[in-house]
Amino acid sequence: MEPKYVIGIDLGTTNSALAYAEIRPDAGPLDTPEVRLLAISQVVNPGEVRDEDLLPSFLYLPGQADFPPGSLALPWDPQPGFVVGRLAQKRGVENAGRLVSSAKSWLSHAGVDRTASILPFHAPDGVPKLSPVEASRRYLEHFQRAWDAKMADAPFFLQQVLVTVPASFDAVARELTERAAEEAGYKGVTLIEEPQAAFYAWIDRHPDWRERVQVGDLILVVDIGGGTTDFTLIAVTERGGELALDRVAVGEHILLGGDNIDLALARLVADRLSERGTRIDTFQLQALWSNCRIAKEKLLDPAAASKEVPVTILGKGTGLVGGTIKASLQLADVERVLLDGFFPAVPNTEMPQRARRVGLQEMGLPYAADAAVTRHLARFLRQQAASVEHGAVRRGPSGLACPTHVLFNGGVLNAPMVRERLLEVLDSWLGEEGFPAVQPLTGEDLMHAVSRGAAYYGNARRGRGVRIRGGVPRTYYVGIESAMPSVPGFAAPLKALTVVPFGMEEGTEQRIPNREFGLVVGEPAEFRFFASAVRKNDQPGDLIEDVGDELDELPPMGVELPAAGDGAGVVAVSFETVVTETGMLQLWCVARDGRRWKLEFNVRERVAA
Amino acid sequence: MLAFRSFFQLLFHGTLPEAVLTELNLAPRAAGRPAAPATPAPPPVRTADGALQMLAILQRDARLVDFIMEDIAPYSDDQVGAAVRTLHDQCRESLTRYLTLQPVIDGVEGTPTRAPSADPSVVKFIGNVPAGAPSGGTLRHKGWRAVKVDLPAVNPRQDSTVVAPAEIEIE
Repeated sequence: MEPKYVIGIDLGTTNSALAYAEIRPDAGPLDTPEVRLLAISQVVNPGEVRDEDLLPSFLYLPGQADFPPGSLALPWDPQPGFVVGRLAQKRGVENAGRLVSSAKSWLSHAGVDRTASILPFHAPDGVPKLSPVEASRRYLEHFQRAWDAKMADAPFFLQQVLVTVPASFDAVARELTERAAEEAGYKGVTLIEEPQAAFYAWIDRHPDWRERVQVGDLILVVDIGGGTTDFTLIAVTERGGELALDRVAVGEHILLGGDNIDLALARLVADRLSERGTRIDTFQLQALWSNCRIAKEKLLDPAAASKEVPVTILGKGTGLVGGTIKASLQLADVERVLLDGFFPAVPNTEMPQRARRVGLQEMGLPYAADAAVTRHLARFLRQQAASVEHGAVRRGPSGLACPTHVLFNGGVLNAPMVRERLLEVLDSWLGEEGFPAVQPLTGEDLMHAVSRGAAYYGNARRGRGVRIRGGVPRTYYVGIESAMPSVPGFAAPLKALTVVPFGMEEGTEQRIPNREFGLVVGEPAEFRFFASAVRKNDQPGDLIEDVGDELDELPPMGVELPAAGDGAGVVAVSFETVVTETGMLQLWCVARDGRRWKLEFNVRERVAA
Repeated sequence: MLAFRSFFQLLFHGTLPEAVLTELNLAPRAAGRPAAPATPAPPPVRTADGALQMLAILQRDARLVDFIMEDIAPYSDDQVGAAVRTLHDQCRESLTRYLTLQPVIDGVEGTPTRAPSADPSVVKFIGNVPAGAPSGGTLRHKGWRAVKVDLPAVNPRQDSTVVAPAEIEIE
């Protein structure tokens, strides 16, 4: 049975959404289908199920005493053992030890075993725990059930499903996302990068986009969500007389977003209160945090003229008025925190501080050490200078990548003040490089753009509309220890063999020449695995002598060749790389006689080591 | 103040809860249809359930009961004002979420207006009211009507007399 809809799921750090569009094979190429959002049924209060556009990405593991019996019932499950969505978020404020939050950030955190039951990270003894993969699985399951409850004539598993991931997700995080989808019962899910999806959403809203950009243009997508900041460069090129789009660069994974800004504001208010002698506890800080978010949005709303918004923390207990703590957030505060703290005007040579400071919200996650988004952006555009030419990237004399257009996405960039500051900074950088000002592409509905864009892309894959050519956004390497006499106390020097070139396209495969390895049958073999978003010119088979700062180590990949009956002890194999149609990266060992074994990421052992 | 006024109207005057509960107890989404012409006897309604549920919601979302039950006499207007702003926003948010309120007469207060109905629960005549039912006068209060009620079903296993649970913190 053919799918009736394309479904795009934006699996976000703090909020998720589902958009869908009808597949109409008979429609003309310019006749783009309408993209709609599915209202997601979720428990919002005990005993109350409501449809909301967003599903907060929170999971709560209730204990015996948390909710009255039967009050968590969903239309598809009379007695779920856990809560997903709005109620989980609310109840989690009162009892953080049972709340799983930011599962997506954990999914991309190489410092922990992401398949182990580690969340909630600070859960007290006796509370069941989940792995980041399993938490993601439950969000995806919720979407599936919510869909099936509403769209009975088009079962979810028959539809074409796309799930968005940050462009900065590496191969492991992507594979774990795919695994979560598979375990949720999804059939043949496709992953799409969020900044690309945001750009598709822009194209979807501008059918005349071909008149708005031209060959040689370079589009910078800045996506700042609740928890992450993601950069992407898309080049406008020409293929067969038609405008084409190439995704030429993606940024590193930066755990920095709107939640950090709101927390910074809450801290500011809390400091001011403590100067007056009023101390607030962690529970009140939580309330202050969300009040500051609301106050910030009010102050940043261009329609509102207020320069000051009261922020109150109501008294605990039944004494409401008596215990009320009064404070206010001023426009000047928000301006200072945003413009000096998160978006300072910096020269394009200023790089983010590398030093790790104490984590912000959860100790376990590797939050960005430097809160200045503009410095991260400078580094991103500089990195393109350091790499060798790939695709049509416009550069200034200093080598800085110089975008012609910028597209903003994500809740933080709803604020005109932030957009203006980013434009101002970009323009000053471009001016120094001798280029005119950057042109903003106006997207609307930044909250839902990504899921809408994913649904558009689903149609583009079927030939309805333009498709961005991207391929693998990194170069991948397998580590090879040099054949040298070992010296006590020193690890053998490591070289890196290029196995996946940057931009390797979906649906292609590549044999790595010149290298064979002897694998002992019946014994696990392991390869160290590296990635680089910066080195873009290494070709399959190239050997990097010095594994320096440009390569990030990923979990190792392992394979075990089954012992064959004929007793052959060692099999000579070479590598073969496959990028599937859905964008998943696979590494295979191929013997001379054509037998193949797939290498699997070994997420566990890295942590044990 | 809208929230308070409607709430008390709901709690202490017969009109609103009746509308609320009839809708609740009847088959869902009977809206739009004109009032049933020949209903023999309305099903018995347990007024307390609906009122307590609404009260519990306003306490949960806006802490309205805490506010009303608190002795606010010792506090300055400034302090009360600060608390009420937050409370008012949240009261209004929950009220508009569960009830859709519209004026009974969508006119301008202080202008001559025709009475749409002679039903005293819909239009109340005040001032120098003549002996016969008047056809109109000066609109003083537009009135409120809950055109839609969207309250969640009451959990029969839950003690509905608890308007707000006690809270115990483990430190």
